Amino acid sequence: MSTTETGNSSTTESAVSGLDYEETQLTLAASGASRSELERKRGFSEGVDLSLETKDFLSGSSDEAPISGAGEPSAAKAQVVGWPPVRSFRRNVLKSCTYVKVAVDGTPYLRKVDLEAHAGYQQLLTALEEMFSCFTARNYPNERLVDPVNGTEYVPTYEDKDGDWMLIGDVPWKVRSSSNFTGNIKGFGSHVEAINKEELEGAISTIHGKHHSTENNLVECCDGCLSLHANGFVDEKLRSCRFSSKNTHRLHHCKVNWDPQHLQTMQS
Amino acid sequence: MVRGFGWAAAFPDEVWEHVFSFLAADADRNAVALVCRAWHRIERRSRRRVFVGNCYAVAPAAAVRRFPEVRAAAIKGKPHFADFNLVPTDWGGGAEAWVEAMAEGWPHLEELRLKRMVVSDDCLELIARSFKNFGVLSLVSCDGFSTAGLAAIAANCRSSPVHTSVGLEVAILVSVASEGVNELSLVYLLLSSADIPYLRNLRELDLHENEVEDNCLNWISHFPESFTSLVSLNIACLEGDVNTSVLECLISRCPNLKTLRLNHAMPLEKLVSLLQRAPQLVDVGTSKFSADHHPELFSKLESTFAGFKHLKSLSGIWEAGPTYLPAIYSVCESLTSLNLCYATIQSPELLKFVSRCKNLQRLWVMDLIEDNGLIAVAASCKLLQELRVFPSDPYGVAPPISLTEHGLVAISAGCLMLHSVLYFCRQMTNAALLTIANNRPNLTCFRLCIIEPHTPDYISQEPLDAGFSAIVESCKDLRRLSLSGLLTDRVFKSIGASANRLEMLSVAFAGDSDAGLHYILSGCKNLRKLEIRDCPFGDKALLDNASKLETMRSLWMSSCSVTLGACRQLALKMPRLNVEVIDERRGRPLESWPDDFPVEKLYIYRTVAGPRSDTPPCVWTV
Repeated sequence: MSTTETGNSSTTESAVSGLDYEETQLTLAASGASRSELERKRGFSEGVDLSLETKDFLSGSSDEAPISGAGEPSAAKAQVVGWPPVRSFRRNVLKSCTYVKVAVDGTPYLRKVDLEAHAGYQQLLTALEEMFSCFTARNYPNERLVDPVNGTEYVPTYEDKDGDWMLIGDVPWKVRSSSNFTGNIKGFGSHVEAINKEELEGAISTIHGKHHSTENNLVECCDGCLSLHANGFVDEKLRSCRFSSKNTHRLHHCKVNWDPQHLQTMQS
Repeated sequence: MVRGFGWAAAFPDEVWEHVFSFLAADADRNAVALVCRAWHRIERRSRRRVFVGNCYAVAPAAAVRRFPEVRAAAIKGKPHFADFNLVPTDWGGGAEAWVEAMAEGWPHLEELRLKRMVVSDDCLELIARSFKNFGVLSLVSCDGFSTAGLAAIAANCRSSPVHTSVGLEVAILVSVASEGVNELSLVYLLLSSADIPYLRNLRELDLHENEVEDNCLNWISHFPESFTSLVSLNIACLEGDVNTSVLECLISRCPNLKTLRLNHAMPLEKLVSLLQRAPQLVDVGTSKFSADHHPELFSKLESTFAGFKHLKSLSGIWEAGPTYLPAIYSVCESLTSLNLCYATIQSPELLKFVSRCKNLQRLWVMDLIEDNGLIAVAASCKLLQELRVFPSDPYGVAPPISLTEHGLVAISAGCLMLHSVLYFCRQMTNAALLTIANNRPNLTCFRLCIIEPHTPDYISQEPLDAGFSAIVESCKDLRRLSLSGLLTDRVFKSIGASANRLEMLSVAFAGDSDAGLHYILSGCKNLRKLEIRDCPFGDKALLDNASKLETMRSLWMSSCSVTLGACRQLALKMPRLNVEVIDERRGRPLESWPDDFPVEKLYIYRTVAGPRSDTPPCVWTV
């Protein structure tokens, strides 16, 4: 059961500084059938260990005794601007692709979000809610995502490398990018397509320069891969997206795993 | 004629001009120009190459006026720390002012090299239209342009008759790669008019690590069919797909092509068919080097590379998997320059590849090579002169790599000709630095970056003062130095005292007090560029050494302890310095801030052009 990891959330918090990658390996399988129901019932705020966010990632400063060679707490350290002195060009080119596809049950198209752009789960979820705000409404009193049409609650989940559906929030934010978390999809609800790491590309790319105007909010990539952007989202994100993208050749793979139903919706 | 300098008139100007033509170094030509008016006049009229290290140090019009016969210009814009996002994006460094002045005053310009400047598409179009005989365009670390601008450059390339501008029109064939030459020249003669558009013979288009917006899919196809003069094409920094068949045509019709550096977008199969058309290449930058294993592709790659009889330089190899690397072993022996700094190859494969490169002089590689790999390099690459080791994971999220000080020590011991080092690692000791200093007193460039700030000697826990001091004391010809790790004022004392040839110094997270800065500014007599971040250096050292700043090209200080008052005093005292205070936080104008206001970023440079007129809101010239 994926819930066992939640029970360990307090230990994972303390484990951030003495990072043990093995502990945070999420490898247990859960039975498929019971998944979606389970996730529907659990409140999101229980899942995310919000105290992890308050472990301010800026607190890792140069006051700490410098660790040589180990590099383990640096996962939780602040990133000082411009240090280490790696050229931004190089950094962008080598940036591990942290774009993930996000789908919300019942929405006609997916979105892509850059995990690197967010400092923690809360920020990510806020961003995702904004992206899908046209379809869902925030139910402010208890801060759960609620679908205005049928009132079902959304919880953020993702599929890890073992194909298990996991609730977002158990793995410390900084750890996720180094362990099996990359290469997986975050999604609301259970309808998310599995895309392996190879296919995680900077989605929104102007590689062929086909910027459609923001009125229909579509950006067409090569070979008809379609991705979405909202006003303002592209311009800001596009730069980082472009630099984290590999090449258009790989976007072909994107298309392969797209749900044909979704693709049709976009083309129409 | 100036009294007392009558000897200058003993020879006609042309003789002096010929003598001066043997002076390659700008410094020498500058010296010559100061001897007497006659020499000043002769020198300035005969100078063909100009290097402007800081685009704001002189007004473009003034430079163009002084040297009217320039054929090659190189200009640099933003401070070096712009590479690391420390300089606001709108700081400046725009190329328009220069390009406009050059278009006006240097119509015969042949070569233009811009570094860290903001170049717009309009600029590129202006370049495309303005210079009759343009041959070389090199843009390094620039931004602000797109592939549409490149299309404009491409479209204006011609390899065809050039007409002299005085009355008589004579067709001179520059380079035509087809038969029927005489007919062609006749046709051009007949069609000629006084108004012929400028024609160019672009030989070199070098785009190195620029941020280029991709909005013109097929810009390469804008090179006309008649264009055949290309010698060097570097498009490695472009993000988008490049039309392979168009590129193949271009390559096939340019027999003089020696350098071809592609971008990573091209799949391996297409790369192979492209490279097959140019076995004469000397410098190749590949695209991505991984694909699913196909035996035919492997053998095609193998035979293509075996066909390179003159290959000296190899780069690219993005995302290389172990599968295809062995296909190119055949070129290893002839390589003198190998750039694998984007190649995420693991140590065993890297080792196998690099240790075959017995004639390597320059090696740029990722820290994935590890100590073992460097030890192998030290044993095999005896001619190595320059080594750069880049971090594969600078933010330390992945498990650590086993690259330590041992690798560098091994290289310093094994490679006797090593003079330039850039090394990113996570640990260092004074002992290792001492050994390196003793092994390699011929170092001219030593840039060490210990990734974690304030890291001491991991064995003794001491600061690394002793180690770096040994480097500057032993390496008498050291011209460039970058410090890192835990350092006190002591290291600056050594640097100030010993580093007499030092021209560029980069300091971060080091020092205890103002004394550190004072040692540097009062010593280091050849210092040209000083860049400092996050050090406790303040007003006193700066003001005490104000006149030193005019002997340097520039000084950058960020997150130090300088106050606005000191900047004001400095600006008052030194009218030929531009003291730029950069602050992105506040909205209020500079005048309203008190003297004790802490300055976030400071950029000081000498200039004869006065304060610049294009400062953005976050920059104030004090």
